[in-house]
Amino acid sequence: MTALDQWLKAATRGLAADSARRVRTEIQAHYDSARETAIGRGLSAEEADRSAVKDLGDPKAANRQYRKVLLTTAEGRMLGQSNREARAFCANAWMKSTLLAIPATALLVSSALFLRGEFAVAGALFAGGLAIGMGFIAPFFPVYTPARSRMLRRVKWALMAGALLLAFGPDALKWSWLLVSCLWIVGWIEWKRASIRRKLPVARWPKQLYL
Amino acid sequence: MNFKGTLPTLILEALAHGPSHGYRIAQRIKERSEGVLDFKEGTLYPALHKLESDGLVESYEGLEKGRPRRYYRITATGRKTLAKDRDEWREISRAVTIILGEA
Repeated sequence: MTALDQWLKAATRGLAADSARRVRTEIQAHYDSARETAIGRGLSAEEADRSAVKDLGDPKAANRQYRKVLLTTAEGRMLGQSNREARAFCANAWMKSTLLAIPATALLVSSALFLRGEFAVAGALFAGGLAIGMGFIAPFFPVYTPARSRMLRRVKWALMAGALLLAFGPDALKWSWLLVSCLWIVGWIEWKRASIRRKLPVARWPKQLYL
Repeated sequence: MNFKGTLPTLILEALAHGPSHGYRIAQRIKERSEGVLDFKEGTLYPALHKLESDGLVESYEGLEKGRPRRYYRITATGRKTLAKDRDEWREISRAVTIILGEA
């Protein structure tokens, strides 16, 4: 393994395959130019190799900076999975109708229960229908600009908080341990998606990143 | 010399004269500062990628001596940011010079 290979291995550690490929191509081209310049200055081939790698600096420091601006393995995997899921749902009309029918049914049943005076169950069902419906209906709205997407996410979080308050009522605080243990994954996914949004230029955002 | 935080502005300035690739940008910054602003070249690319995701530069594939290279060019937003950064730098530089008593 050459000194450049070792540098690249350390600098691309934990980066998604596409990100790592881009780093390798760019650094290889940079290294070739630096090496040619060094040889042009009268250095031997070995000295030129050493000088070109030395000028690149600490690969661990470069890796820390690359991780801040390029997709990591976990982010690349998440993006790939959500792309596959979105394609699977959107390619199947039956699945799309079913997903829209679930929150609609929940809201209808909650209205019926409300009329019969079963307020607690009706409230929980209404909250669930609202939260699920928000997730499923949002893609049908024209939200595909960064500003509208930001607005949609704020509404989504506000609705989710409202739905939880409605479902648990005054006991929301008492049940907070259950909510946190069930919902931390939602927060983690949203945090990862925010990181992906920061790293990808808007022109390369897939549709589900706007939601 | 440590010039942390100013690298993005220096990159924008280097690109304001025309599209270029990473190696040429690094050389331009070093040559124009007469070697005072020396930096590790591995840190240039993360800064370029950040500028790209912020929409201040855009990149495209090109060829140099038959080898594929990624070229970067400044965008209209990048030019506005560079103009703003230049003004801010002049202000800071003037203030520091006054404080150090070299005006």
